[in-house]
Amino acid sequence: MSRPELPLEGTEVPIVVRTPTAVDLFMFSAAAWLLHRIHYDLPFTTEHEGHPGLLIHGPLQGVYLTQSVERWLGSGVRLRSVNYRNLAPAHLGDALECGGTVTASDLSTSTIELDLWVRKIDGTVTTSGKSVFASTEGGR
Amino acid sequence: MGVITDEARGWAEKEFPRFIFTVTARDIAQFAHATEATDQVHFDAEAARAAGFHDVVAPALFPYVIRMQASNLVDRTRLEPDGSPSADVPPIPTRRAMAGETSVELGDPIVAGDVITVEKRVLDLYEKEGRSGPLVFVQMEFTFHNQHGRLVARELFTRIYR
Repeated sequence: MSRPELPLEGTEVPIVVRTPTAVDLFMFSAAAWLLHRIHYDLPFTTEHEGHPGLLIHGPLQGVYLTQSVERWLGSGVRLRSVNYRNLAPAHLGDALECGGTVTASDLSTSTIELDLWVRKIDGTVTTSGKSVFASTEGGR
Repeated sequence: MGVITDEARGWAEKEFPRFIFTVTARDIAQFAHATEATDQVHFDAEAARAAGFHDVVAPALFPYVIRMQASNLVDRTRLEPDGSPSADVPPIPTRRAMAGETSVELGDPIVAGDVITVEKRVLDLYEKEGRSGPLVFVQMEFTFHNQHGRLVARELFTRIYR
């Protein structure tokens, strides 16, 4: 078995910009059978709930958080755990930068730990968290 | 003071029915498309087999889809006006919900054909005084096992009501 190639502590995750459209929000709600109106019913969301626009799902941002690592390291790693908080709302039309930093890289267990974030272009962090990925060397 | 009454504490101890979800290739493809996951292992059984799975494999955070169906796949009379499932809403006067914290630990991968059993319970119910009034935190625990009795995921999810 070849030695797993894992990024070293301190390495930055390449930033990916995600700008979900109404189609993305619809597909995410539909795939999960998520019926909460704040993701598709604009008059309800603005007039009744007082939001400035349709909300980008917190769990969709959780997916973006971990995908920034998957897109970087490909099938060489598999997500083991993630913990995140949705800190501020993100609305339809917001461009979201997704990135982070490797905080630990352990060759003996073939795992890396990362701090990850999703932020708006103005710098507001909307979601942040920590995750652990394991190398898939030797079978995933 | 305090909006968590004995009634709310009683609600937190209720049992939610066990939910069984048979994962299809279609469910996996829908979630993969929705999240722009492009790896062919989510769409093409041959590609999945070449990668060591016996059928198309779900994206890592797919357990969310299963737990949402467990909560939302109910009769319309059991939905709140905002579309939320009534069974998940504690009996408290503060009703506007926000996502809080999520923790997911993953076990075995989920592949098409798996039969996943979800167990759900309220792990914690507590309140804090926020700037604009009381905030109520509801922490739910979801455990997901496959048909082999193997753990595929455990998720803790906190919803905040204000």
